[in-house]
Amino acid sequence: MTRIPLRPLARVLRARDRGENPDTIERENLRLRHEAMRDRDRTRAEGRLLVLSIFFFAVFAVVGARMGLMASSAGSEPRARAGGAAITAQRADITDRNGRVLATNLSTFSLYAQPPHMVDKERAARELVKIFPDLDEKRLVEDFTGSRKFLWIKKKLSPEQKQAVHDIGDPGLLFGPREMRLYPNGALAAHVLGGASFGREGVHSAEVIGIAGVEKAFDGYLRDPENGSPLRLSIDMTVQTAMRQVLWGGMRLMNAKGAAGILMDAHSGEIISMVSLPDFDPNDRPRPLLKGDAADSPLFNRAVQGVYELGSTFKIFTTAQAMQLGHVNENTLVDADAPMRWGRFRIKEFENKNYGPLLSVTDVIVKSSNVGTAKMALQIGGERQQDFLRKLGFFDATPVELVEAPGAKPLLPPNWSEIVTITASYGHGFSASPLHLATAYSSLLNGGTLVTPTLLARDKVEPGPRIVSERISRVSREMLRAVVVRGTASFGEVPGYEVGGKTGTANKPKTDGRGYHQDKNINTFASVFPVSDPRYVLVVTLDEASDNTGPKPRRTAGWTAVPVAAEVVRRTAPLLGLRPKIEPAEASALTLTSN
Amino acid sequence: MSYLEYNVKTVPTGLSKILYLNWPLLVLITAIASVGFLMLYSVAGGSLSPWAEPQMKRFALGVAVMLTIAMVPIWFWRNMAGLAYGVSLGLLLLVEFFGTTGMGAQRWIDLGFMRLQPSELTKITLVMILAAYYDWLDVKKTSRPLWVIIPVILIMLPTYLVLRQPDLGTAILLVTGGGIVMFLAGVSWWYFIAVIGAGVGLVSAVFTSRGTPWQLLKDYQYRRIDTFLDPSSDPLGAGYHITQSKIALGSGGWTGRGYMQGTQSRLNFLPEKHTDFIFTTLAEEFGFVGAFSLLALYALIIFFCAVSAMQNRDRFGSLLTLGVGTTFFLFFAVNMSMVMGLAPVVGVPLPLVSYGGSAMLVLLMAFGFAQSAHVHRPRGR
Repeated sequence: MTRIPLRPLARVLRARDRGENPDTIERENLRLRHEAMRDRDRTRAEGRLLVLSIFFFAVFAVVGARMGLMASSAGSEPRARAGGAAITAQRADITDRNGRVLATNLSTFSLYAQPPHMVDKERAARELVKIFPDLDEKRLVEDFTGSRKFLWIKKKLSPEQKQAVHDIGDPGLLFGPREMRLYPNGALAAHVLGGASFGREGVHSAEVIGIAGVEKAFDGYLRDPENGSPLRLSIDMTVQTAMRQVLWGGMRLMNAKGAAGILMDAHSGEIISMVSLPDFDPNDRPRPLLKGDAADSPLFNRAVQGVYELGSTFKIFTTAQAMQLGHVNENTLVDADAPMRWGRFRIKEFENKNYGPLLSVTDVIVKSSNVGTAKMALQIGGERQQDFLRKLGFFDATPVELVEAPGAKPLLPPNWSEIVTITASYGHGFSASPLHLATAYSSLLNGGTLVTPTLLARDKVEPGPRIVSERISRVSREMLRAVVVRGTASFGEVPGYEVGGKTGTANKPKTDGRGYHQDKNINTFASVFPVSDPRYVLVVTLDEASDNTGPKPRRTAGWTAVPVAAEVVRRTAPLLGLRPKIEPAEASALTLTSN
Repeated sequence: MSYLEYNVKTVPTGLSKILYLNWPLLVLITAIASVGFLMLYSVAGGSLSPWAEPQMKRFALGVAVMLTIAMVPIWFWRNMAGLAYGVSLGLLLLVEFFGTTGMGAQRWIDLGFMRLQPSELTKITLVMILAAYYDWLDVKKTSRPLWVIIPVILIMLPTYLVLRQPDLGTAILLVTGGGIVMFLAGVSWWYFIAVIGAGVGLVSAVFTSRGTPWQLLKDYQYRRIDTFLDPSSDPLGAGYHITQSKIALGSGGWTGRGYMQGTQSRLNFLPEKHTDFIFTTLAEEFGFVGAFSLLALYALIIFFCAVSAMQNRDRFGSLLTLGVGTTFFLFFAVNMSMVMGLAPVVGVPLPLVSYGGSAMLVLLMAFGFAQSAHVHRPRGR
């Protein structure tokens, strides 16, 4: 660094010569030196400031750019990625066909104890019993003071209970997160959903596993963490609600001990509604019965597991097959002179009536003639009858997606003798579930193509293999319509919706296997609507129903199951989007409601 | 080295000093604070209480304090720097022993009428002492190791105490702010390169050692760092604030949902919505346009600070003004990056906008010093 000398001798001497004060030179130079110094500092400081400005500017630019980026992005919910934070294996939801939630998950907490870390075991036990009165204080104290290092106290806690336990303040009382299954609609669709419970349990999480219904049938799918979409069932929640309400009211009104109802899409086999009463709340499943008849438990799904003699509802299969084979048409007259003798058996009509030797095939169905049906069945023969019923699915368990379904096989007679051919033709000596019946009715009446029952919503329907011709399907529907218009099911008329159906009344077999109860019936009404454009099949079954409004109890399906089914149609048809063909009349005198 | 002594005569005196204030700066400060009032009014659901009104009162008080400070000659403040630093350090120690705990950290001294946060005060006293130090120090000695160690100690003392509270945000502000003042004062590049290099080396060593037998931290510590650096991996835990504020920013779009129409903040999705995360409300209600305008206001404040510092030939005044601008910038930059998910959440308010007494008062005091430096800058020649 070259410095300017403050008093350069040459200049000082020269200035002296000129008589000037040399101090001015020194002052001048001092100022110059200061200025040079200041300039150096200045440029240096400015350089630094420039660097800093660039840095500041960069930060501003990044922040501004980020702002723009975020402003142009739609606000979206991020998902957990980190292993620790991820919610462990959420079970997929189950929804109805319109996406309304039937089963979902709720985060809650379990309570466990680590006795070695507990401070005051007696006090903790005392306080716990105050919060959970169902716990036994003595046992808790024993557990806490014993050699156990770990024990579960409660599997699910409400937030209030958790706070209360927290407030006990014992370090040995600990909480573990729990995912629990929640059914927000309670008992609605209880048998379809089944239920879930905890599988392997750890402190930090527990497996939720399905134990019944679709929860178990689709357990793998529901638990698959890769699958983000909920399980969409074919059930329609609103229809299900209406059906359950009506059946509940009907069951009470008809003094029945149980009821089952299935509403099926006749073309796709989708089960729109399936109710079995009495039912239960899947949030709090009752324990299975340990003794007695499993069918008496509310867990029992009458619609699928209940195999009953479905009675005269079967007659339509016989007539349809006879027509298909060309033996008869709807107007052919058959001999229905009762009673009919067959070996040592006598085939009688209901209440020992006699419909005479000339009864048209339509009237066989309308009047529900056992003898007329039996005659046609004998013409068909056992082999072909079995083939037809097998095609309709009566020889196997239903393929519906419930774990209970495979166990509910129809009860078949050990060998198919001619008398079996006769009784089976009108639905006796042969047991199947209401779901079997609904499926077979759908296949027969939808135009004649086979359907498979399903609980999953189907978007596209491929018609199955043909069972009967379209004409026979139509004629069968017209016969069923005649049953409602002028036959045994006159209470089944719902103005505008063209209900056609067949009643079935069967005596319940005695539990000891000898003969039948005379006063205990299974009443069934299997129907299709609207007849001119078949859309839905409805099967209603009442267990031990009797209508006591008359002078003596009436136990036939026409008096019990039919009016209940009519009310179901009246309530659900508008929900299904069907429009009545005519202006609906005022509600008829007999209206069943639950209230 | 100071040039003040022989230039004092040209400095304005008496009330005429008001004319020589840095008016653009004052206007900008008021504008930003007004944005704050608007947002606090909105966050409270269209109500002056509980936030907007106290904030206005504090701002009025703060401006009065700022003007008072501005009226007092800058050389007085230079002589006070050491004392102020000592007092703030003492208060930090006091908090250590007698402080009130809030939000899981010990930060306040309850004075009865207000709760004082000494860590806020330290931000400005540290800048003052550093400016005074470099004013006093011969420029030639600036980069000698001994004379570098002294300011480093001056920075580390309050930083250590603040970290113990723990208040990571303030600690970052102190270290970065102090470092920048040292850089502006002319400390050799090599020191900064060395420090930054060492930092980068340490961090990369920690991370590369992960999973190897000689790993430097425990596994759970790594996981904590992961969540800290990338809060979005834990949206319901550590990342909750950020997640929600990101949604708010996205929901605002370009022009916003309209004043008082924000959803995120008003529906109480955001905790701290009136303090550290108030920017999200602004961004949601006024969109990118509003947010960018605020950004521009902040940039202008820093620009005017820099201009004022450049005009100022007094080393103390110049460094102090730059230090104040830097502190202000850091407040803003850290808060913005944290709100926008560019940086971890460390708890730094948005300067002059966020609800809070200490920060507002301290910032206005700081601007008071900058104003004083501006008013009393050497003139002529």
